[in-house]
Amino acid sequence: MNCRSQVLEVSVEGRQVDEAMLALLHTILLHRSTGKFHYKKEGTYSIGTVGIQDIDCDFIDFTFVRLSSDELDRAIRKAVGEFKDALRSSGNDGAGQISLEFYQKKKSRWPFSDECIPWEVWSIKVNVVNLANEQERQICREKVGEKLGEKVINIVEVINRHEYLPKMPTQSEVDNVFDTSLKDVQPYLYKISFQITDSLGTSVSTTMRRLIKDTLAL
Amino acid sequence: MAHFDTEYQRLEVSYNDSPPGEEDMLVHVPEGSKSLWHHIENLDLFFQRVYNLHQKNGFTCMLLGEIFELVQLVFVVAFTVFLANCVDYDILFANKMVNHTHHLHESIKVTLPDAFLPANVCSARIRNNVVVIFIMVIAGVFWLHRLIKFIYNICCYWEIRSFYINALKISMADLPYFTWQEVQARIIEIQKEHQMCIHKKELTELDIYHRILRFKNYMVAMVNKSLLPIRYRLPMLGDVIFYTRGLKYNFELIFFWGPGSLFENEWSLKPEYKRGGNRLELADKLSARILWIGIANFLLCPIILIWQILYAFFSYTEVIKREPGSLGARCWSLYGRCYLRHFNELDHELMSRLSKGYKASSKYMNCFMSPLLTVVAKNVAFFAGSILAVLISLTIYDEDVLAVEHVLTTITLLGVCITICRSFIPDKHMVFCPEQLLKVILAHIHYMPDHWQGNAHRYETRDEFSQLFQYKAVFILEELLSPVITPFILIFCLRRKSLEIIDFFRNFTVEVVGVGDTCSFAQMDVRQHGHPAWMSAGKTEASIYQQAEDGKTELSLMHFAITNPRWQPPRESTHFISQLKEKVQREAANCQQGMAEKHLFSSIQSIQSESEPHSLIANLLVGPPSLTSFQYAQEGHGAHHSSHIGSSDVASALRSLSPLSTSQHLRGSFSSTLAKGEGTPLITARGLAGSTTDTRTASSGSSAWEGQLTSMVLSEYASNEMSIHAVYMHELHKQQVRTEPARHVWHRQDSDDSSESAPEDSEANRTLPRSATFPFPGALSRQEGSTAPMVGQRRYGCTPDGASGTSRPGSRMSRLPMGGWTEDVQAGRHHDTVPEEGSDDEQPPQIHKIT
Repeated sequence: MNCRSQVLEVSVEGRQVDEAMLALLHTILLHRSTGKFHYKKEGTYSIGTVGIQDIDCDFIDFTFVRLSSDELDRAIRKAVGEFKDALRSSGNDGAGQISLEFYQKKKSRWPFSDECIPWEVWSIKVNVVNLANEQERQICREKVGEKLGEKVINIVEVINRHEYLPKMPTQSEVDNVFDTSLKDVQPYLYKISFQITDSLGTSVSTTMRRLIKDTLAL
Repeated sequence: MAHFDTEYQRLEVSYNDSPPGEEDMLVHVPEGSKSLWHHIENLDLFFQRVYNLHQKNGFTCMLLGEIFELVQLVFVVAFTVFLANCVDYDILFANKMVNHTHHLHESIKVTLPDAFLPANVCSARIRNNVVVIFIMVIAGVFWLHRLIKFIYNICCYWEIRSFYINALKISMADLPYFTWQEVQARIIEIQKEHQMCIHKKELTELDIYHRILRFKNYMVAMVNKSLLPIRYRLPMLGDVIFYTRGLKYNFELIFFWGPGSLFENEWSLKPEYKRGGNRLELADKLSARILWIGIANFLLCPIILIWQILYAFFSYTEVIKREPGSLGARCWSLYGRCYLRHFNELDHELMSRLSKGYKASSKYMNCFMSPLLTVVAKNVAFFAGSILAVLISLTIYDEDVLAVEHVLTTITLLGVCITICRSFIPDKHMVFCPEQLLKVILAHIHYMPDHWQGNAHRYETRDEFSQLFQYKAVFILEELLSPVITPFILIFCLRRKSLEIIDFFRNFTVEVVGVGDTCSFAQMDVRQHGHPAWMSAGKTEASIYQQAEDGKTELSLMHFAITNPRWQPPRESTHFISQLKEKVQREAANCQQGMAEKHLFSSIQSIQSESEPHSLIANLLVGPPSLTSFQYAQEGHGAHHSSHIGSSDVASALRSLSPLSTSQHLRGSFSSTLAKGEGTPLITARGLAGSTTDTRTASSGSSAWEGQLTSMVLSEYASNEMSIHAVYMHELHKQQVRTEPARHVWHRQDSDDSSESAPEDSEANRTLPRSATFPFPGALSRQEGSTAPMVGQRRYGCTPDGASGTSRPGSRMSRLPMGGWTEDVQAGRHHDTVPEEGSDDEQPPQIHKIT
């Protein structure tokens, strides 16, 4: 509960899904990353620089800015690719949701494992639309570009608010707050997950499975 | 994807990403997470634990209590098994001689160890007894479960302990001296520094209460709206309330935390239950679940029953032997506790309130002695007493009488018999004044159905009151019967209500930023849930379905505002409170003018002419130590007189604590007017009391003793003030109801006319229009019809429109007039997307709520 959540909604054509997702996820991560920390002896640190680059989309009239970190880009592309595949394999005009969750780890006492406590969740709901002809596609291309522009502004507005962010950690705790595995940037710890909505609602088999699970859990 | 080289290129000069010399220019100091308490994952549990630790008086007490509970469990099982298998009862009853070989010719003394079977025989007997082994295995599993839970709890509470010590700066030794209000004030204080809740910079009292009492508020609301099947009409016994701990446990299991319950975690209702679209399917699902749980209950029934019997036997036998009268004593029933509880009232607040009303209540119940029973009891007591007297005198003469078979038994039984008889014989010096007693009771319990007033002397009223205030013996009996009856209630009564339950949860759940899903009644918003007959006429916009019965919203609001004076209510509520306070003040001032001349006789007079509310205040104000003695004189205990005498000392203590500023604090202003009729020391004490509340946390620098005294005194005043307000509101309500046809009946009719529900007290009531809980007390079949005046279903999570939305930043699902009664057909597609990752609000960022 103790976390903020933001919901973004977009309607795109099938082939625009990954670019739209990349644009939004990268925009969020751009603002939720810092340069690498270099700790000094006296418990102080300096922050490294961060490179950024413009990316033009192929299927949307849109250009966005992302961190110029290939590792980060690869990780996000992988998640988005999986999401897109799942969306496609769900068959009919799918709808789905991809969420980017920022969390921090908390050390616990011995009997418990470390907890991951989310502090901000961005959920992007995607509706896939089917278009009949090229002209509609052209219109959609522009429209989605405009929409994405608005979303980016939204994201920036939200991020500009003075709201809770994990405190800057000391050297020993840096892994609890930031993802230090990348060599050029240091985003807050994040997790990308997605889910596909069945347009038919929950099917019989999932209901049955859940019922059995519930009975066992008793 | 095209890759352009733009001017935003990374500097490839240095591999460690820092241009040379930067170390000297930009150096940051990490704040570190010095506090362990920022951003707590599960604040609900956290606050509950903080509260529990406070209520259990610290870590050590709690630890000991839990350990003893575990030991007790082992003891009960082991002792029972031992008694059943390892005792040779023939020796104990001297049916068989003990064969001590070495002293044959001496008189044989039987010792206890003689009666025990040798260990090997004993274990063989146990091993051969399948039932015993089965029970022991079950008990073992249960015990292990408890042990694991215990260890887990200890670990969690250890954290809470360090929270108390490090963050709140309260050592465990001092904890018992702190009231909950003080602890709470400190929590609010440290939120600014530690940010336990990340949604808000500051917490309010209401947030904390909401989190601790989230589910209890739902239960209170459900009992208030007569949703739960706990009232039955039985052929012989008439109206019966059956609500036991076992049943309550099952309700909570079904609604709140069991597998597949309506809540997906502590703080949020599952999203599908927030939409009206597939309420029928959800109702089916719920009723299937109730069926399963009912069957599980049925299967486990023997085990639970055995446990209940054993537990009751071991815990009550000793008490009954020591003071047999205790079974004739009364206690507040579980239903009573639910019916009388305010929204957002913590356990200790409720219990102290009810305990204050206990004496008056038992006195009231004792007013109703059946004359017939009294005559019989007197004579039975006479005969039993004579036999007992002879036996006792014989025993005194020669104690060998005791050795005669059954003499001791007879003496014990006769003693018990006399005690029981005596409880039926009324006190010679008692005066029968039920109406006044009921008023005193009302001052403490705050809730009472309308038709009790003026009918206090009637047996119907007494019977209804006894549903709230039952015999301890009945309580134990109900608990024993509970395992057998619970499955049937679940399967045959609760299942039928599943649709209403689904509707209830959908219609009365609001999402509050930083708190999660709470019961909308618990917001205590007069506008949304006020009842026009309870002073919120004109302010309330609630439909009958949405109105809380018995003025619960209004009284809860007053109670919360009085117990938490630092809480800032929302605008309409502030308005309501101040209006009411003003009224009470005016009445008090009015009657004080007349008070001077008729100081002496008005006390008698005002009791007679109780129709006007101001006479009631006069009633309270008149007499030397007016307010408190009115309430307590009846009860004849002097607890309050001590606080009266102490108040002059208190006044000086308070003066040292706070500057002599007259705060515009509600309590201060009210109590000073009230105190005009009283001795001067009390005036200063009370006037100061108000201002001190504000400076209470600020003045924590003063010595601990003074601070604690202050808060004790304040809570005492708060409860008195609430009593006055409760009585006043009831009085006003009575007047209002008299002018219009009665809008309320005790025991509201349930929404389906199943045979066991829907009791009416008398034929006369049947003709009255009622504001029954649900708009259609008719048949269930009508639910599907579109008879409900559908004002349009507002869906969960959407911003309420204009007027209601602007008034309060915290988003809330505003009025949903009977949305539950019609199918929602316009469910938009995007609402079918189920967010999984704990997204608490489904709004796009641009209209994200800021609080």
